[in-house]
Amino acid sequence: MKTPAKPEIEEGGDAMTRRRLLSWLSGFGLLGSLIITVLSNLIFIKPRATYGQPNRFSIGKPEDFPSGARLSLDARRVCIVRDGDKIAAISTTCTHLGCIVSVSETGFACPCHGSRYDQDGNVTGGPAPRALPWYQVSLAPNGDIEVDKDTEIEAGNYLRV
Amino acid sequence: MSSQTKTRNPLIALPENIWRSIFRNPLPSSDLGRASTSFTNFFLHLHPVKVHRNSLRATFTLGLGLMAFFLFMILVVTGILLMFYYVPSTTQAYDRMLDLRGTVAFGIFLRNMHRWSAHGMVAVVFLHMCRVFLTGSYKPPREFNWVLGVLLLLVTLFLSFTGYLLPWDQLAFWAITVGTSIASYAPIVGKEVKFLLLGDSTVGQEALLRFYVLHVAVLPAVLSLLVAIHFWRIRKDGGLSRPEEEDALPADVPAPTQVEVVQGPAVVMATSPAAAAAAQPVLEKRHYGIQGLVRGPFTKIGNVPDRSVFAWPNLFMAELVVFLITVAGVLLVSLFFNAPLEEPVNVMHPPNPAKAPWYFLGLQEQVSYSAFWGGVGIPTIEVLLLFLVPYLDRKIAGVGRWFARERLLANFLFLTFVIVNVVLIIIGTFFRGPNWEFVSPW
Amino acid sequence: MSTRVTLAVASFVVLIVHGIVFYDQFFNRWEKHQTAYFEQARSLAKTDAERRALDQRSPRIEQIIVTQFGESRVDRCTTCHVASDDPRFQNHAQPLRTHPYSAALGDVQVNGRWERRHKFTDFGCTICHDGQGRGLESFYAHGEDIFWPDPMLGYVTQASWHTEFRPKLTGKEYMQANCAQCHTEDNFAGTPLVQRGRQLFFEKACYGCHRIEGLSNGTLGPDLSDVGKKYKINYLWEHTVNPRAFQPTSFMPKFDLSDEEIKALTVFLKSRRGINFAETALGQYRARLQQVKAEGAKQETSAMPSAMRGEQLIGERSCTACHRLGEKDGHIAPDLSYEGLIRDEDWMMAHFREPKSKIPDSIMPVFGFADADFRSISAYLKTRSTPPPFKTAEEIYKGLCARCHGEKGDGKGVTYLYLDPAPRDLTKASFMNSKPEERFLQSLKNGVPGTSMPPWERVLTDEQRRTVLTYVFETFVKEPRGQLKERKVPDKNPVAFNVDSIHRGEEIFLNRCTGCHGRKADGKGPNSLDISPRPRNLRNSFFINNVPDKRLFDSILYGVQGTAMPSWIDYGLTQNDAGDLINFIRSLNSQTALPGGEKSPTLTSQANLSQTNQEVPCLNKGNDKCK
Repeated sequence: MKTPAKPEIEEGGDAMTRRRLLSWLSGFGLLGSLIITVLSNLIFIKPRATYGQPNRFSIGKPEDFPSGARLSLDARRVCIVRDGDKIAAISTTCTHLGCIVSVSETGFACPCHGSRYDQDGNVTGGPAPRALPWYQVSLAPNGDIEVDKDTEIEAGNYLRV
Repeated sequence: MSSQTKTRNPLIALPENIWRSIFRNPLPSSDLGRASTSFTNFFLHLHPVKVHRNSLRATFTLGLGLMAFFLFMILVVTGILLMFYYVPSTTQAYDRMLDLRGTVAFGIFLRNMHRWSAHGMVAVVFLHMCRVFLTGSYKPPREFNWVLGVLLLLVTLFLSFTGYLLPWDQLAFWAITVGTSIASYAPIVGKEVKFLLLGDSTVGQEALLRFYVLHVAVLPAVLSLLVAIHFWRIRKDGGLSRPEEEDALPADVPAPTQVEVVQGPAVVMATSPAAAAAAQPVLEKRHYGIQGLVRGPFTKIGNVPDRSVFAWPNLFMAELVVFLITVAGVLLVSLFFNAPLEEPVNVMHPPNPAKAPWYFLGLQEQVSYSAFWGGVGIPTIEVLLLFLVPYLDRKIAGVGRWFARERLLANFLFLTFVIVNVVLIIIGTFFRGPNWEFVSPW
Repeated sequence: MSTRVTLAVASFVVLIVHGIVFYDQFFNRWEKHQTAYFEQARSLAKTDAERRALDQRSPRIEQIIVTQFGESRVDRCTTCHVASDDPRFQNHAQPLRTHPYSAALGDVQVNGRWERRHKFTDFGCTICHDGQGRGLESFYAHGEDIFWPDPMLGYVTQASWHTEFRPKLTGKEYMQANCAQCHTEDNFAGTPLVQRGRQLFFEKACYGCHRIEGLSNGTLGPDLSDVGKKYKINYLWEHTVNPRAFQPTSFMPKFDLSDEEIKALTVFLKSRRGINFAETALGQYRARLQQVKAEGAKQETSAMPSAMRGEQLIGERSCTACHRLGEKDGHIAPDLSYEGLIRDEDWMMAHFREPKSKIPDSIMPVFGFADADFRSISAYLKTRSTPPPFKTAEEIYKGLCARCHGEKGDGKGVTYLYLDPAPRDLTKASFMNSKPEERFLQSLKNGVPGTSMPPWERVLTDEQRRTVLTYVFETFVKEPRGQLKERKVPDKNPVAFNVDSIHRGEEIFLNRCTGCHGRKADGKGPNSLDISPRPRNLRNSFFINNVPDKRLFDSILYGVQGTAMPSWIDYGLTQNDAGDLINFIRSLNSQTALPGGEKSPTLTSQANLSQTNQEVPCLNKGNDKCK
């Protein structure tokens, strides 16, 4: 940190190149650190574990859902549909502005802005822009049905049990 | 240059134009450029254009003041980041600490940085005070800046103390219990102060919330304001202190022009008969900006022999080095040592011994001898004396030199105060075991 | 130039540390475990759909949030133990191993497939296992960190625990403590150790001193209702083995316990967490009401006092957890085998109701039994009136004296820690040879009132007592008895017993005696802990009122050889001073009115109130408490 006795400009030749090299090195170190800092802060901000209910959860045994059942689990925001030996999970979050749709005879109806869906979640009326998504349903090794809200699947894809 | 850009396609010149609009100066190659760089940049204009060489001597300042400031910056940044995951609630705070250690990416590292920087800041601010005293830098005209410095030390301690509670572990809970109890020994107001701090008769949810608010909002704001004034005063008090002989003229520099600053309506005239006598081509009239109107010891125009150098790049480089050394130190410590996290709070089961944060262990040690004198009487006298030091010691001799012979008595008294306190802290930290009995740390 | 070098070096250090921290963040153990699980599950998968589902999964933090047991728990254990509920992994190594199925846990087999009784999604993991649910590194998650209060029960011990006991603190059976948080039934099959511990809690008379909500109401020791929440099992174990391990001043006796018994007690105590998941607050309240009622009923219906009932009660209420009675011996309190010859019924009843009323420093707790029960017990003890069969002096000493005075006569018999005043060290020749033989015979015959030394008058004949004393002198004192020095001490206190004298005595006492005998004269001065034998409690009325003036003069003026009591005549105390002191000490213990119509004086009004609960007049006119 000692200041040079003479102004730096007066040095020439080798000293100049050495100084330039050092400047580049410092600049590289600083810039690199800055980039890593920004990246790690972004990673830091993104939670790896949330405190709400997990997106992947077990809903019990297939026997718990008799054929023809359309059971809405409001806490999980998903409707379990059983048709014969086929099971599916349809989102009950309205694709319009996120209200919870209720199960009706004809399918689903949103109480907020009047969006209506058929039994497979396709839009039949109202402002909803998209059909209700279907979530992946799988059979866990212990025999429970697991719903994974992180994975959307094509409508009409049932799990056979 | 501007004529060039006009002829070019605005789209091609767009990046350069944007850059130029933000940074008005290219990398300076002349003195004018260096000066211009300093005062056209928001962050750099806080600095003078030129600084005295003495201010740049690493062995004189040790960079401690800047280090304290940079530690504060690190604390602000890491603190804000930690706030994203912290909840000041007795039921959740500790769990959030566990999550910082477990699930949050870089959580433990940020907490380490915050913790160690906080300890570091207390230590560095104290060392900075020692530096200022031992170089006699509090002497006129810098008396008030010393007072601000003492205030800053107190705010730093309080900031660190309020942060101590937030992890809500046994260490935090009992340290704050002990610390606030020390405060309650103050006569008349003691009990009330404790109650106001805790918001309750014991440390609990209210205390946690209050400490949180103090820690993340009130005290940082106060500290920032005080730091701003502290910095501003450095410039207004004529830069860092230095020995008088530093101002004496080196042999190869011509004698100074005696400048008389005459206050006028808008233009200040400066005449220099001495310079005229030396037949120097000195301007008869000089135009000064608004700074020229300022009276007192601060005006630096022309009345000081020119032993100063341009802030760019000398000062900025030095500051960058201090900054990087500080950051590197904090990062290294945080890489190798984890911030402590003890048992979750158990209000029924105090640890033995229950210790305050380390910087208060000297106090706690004193309290073990006499509650009032150790906890309130002596500390109050010490702080008052610190505040009054520049007003009691008026002799202007030995300023700007370490351990100046002229200041033997003052330095001796101050070092005694430092050593006694450090020894008390060491005893309290390492030599006190269960029931506050003397134990050997080995 | 050096500035620039420093700059370059520092910026590279910063860059490198940034790099290390950043890099490190992407290599978590749990990710490796999950990847391994996905691979192995893929090879075990039967259908393509299963495989596809596995391919889509990427490592992430799995967690179970349980809200139904008190505070909200977050258990992330399944992040590593990702196969815990996958029955195909029963033979894999941890952490990828199926949690065992067991009928004992209530799991049932339906169609050849196990069904868990305690579903992980409902219960989480830490409710049974303890450990730190939020941790993602095994060191923290399993509770190996010495600061974590609940390491995995029976699986993990912490580095700070006593090495001697650490191996004993492992084993699945410790988890019964957590089962008992919900399964509180007394006869629950899954928690035999908790039941054994509860049984021991009563067998070892712990209930006499300790309170546990819903179980006992002792007040002498700490409340143990939530002791399991406060302390780790190492503390519970060690404190039970040696009550002084953590608290040197504890007066809790060290009970004779086998390792198996200590384990049961530890598990039982660990199960006392102050909360009970199976019971609601209302349920607990109702249970308490019922318990109070039941206790009241029990007291009323107690049978007529009888010796037979007494014998039964002594067994039921665990007197022999401390005392000795025939074959049974708790090695803590005096032998009751010949109690019928030693004490009369009044003494016993007073002692039962309030043990300190007869032996002021007794550590025996107040058992709040019904009066009729006490009568039965004393009636039974009255029947213990067969003189002992011992013949030789040695037999008598070993049979009756050694329990307190020790086999070697050094005053360190099995019970010595719990007796206050402590048993006399019979090997201290300086003491033994400085007192007349009549005094020892007197103590043997009538006992020492206010202490645990009983009167042996009706147990041993004159001849036997004499031979025992001879035996003691020959075996323990060893040094020949010289001629006792004649000392000039008055037989009766020549100083008149009046307020002035007492006042002078108090002043001398406060100046000279409090360091050992204490400001309250209770023998608990600041130096008393370092002195053996301990300073005399001068408020022990039974003792003081039985000591003649002559002996007090002797002790004060010429000291007590073999103890810390100095010869005060060497420090300038006159006979009159001693007389004042004696008057003062007597006044502390006097039940009768003082001359001049005043009642007994005191050091400080507070001290006396705590001892006698009487209103006490003030002697010290300077004291601002005086009105």
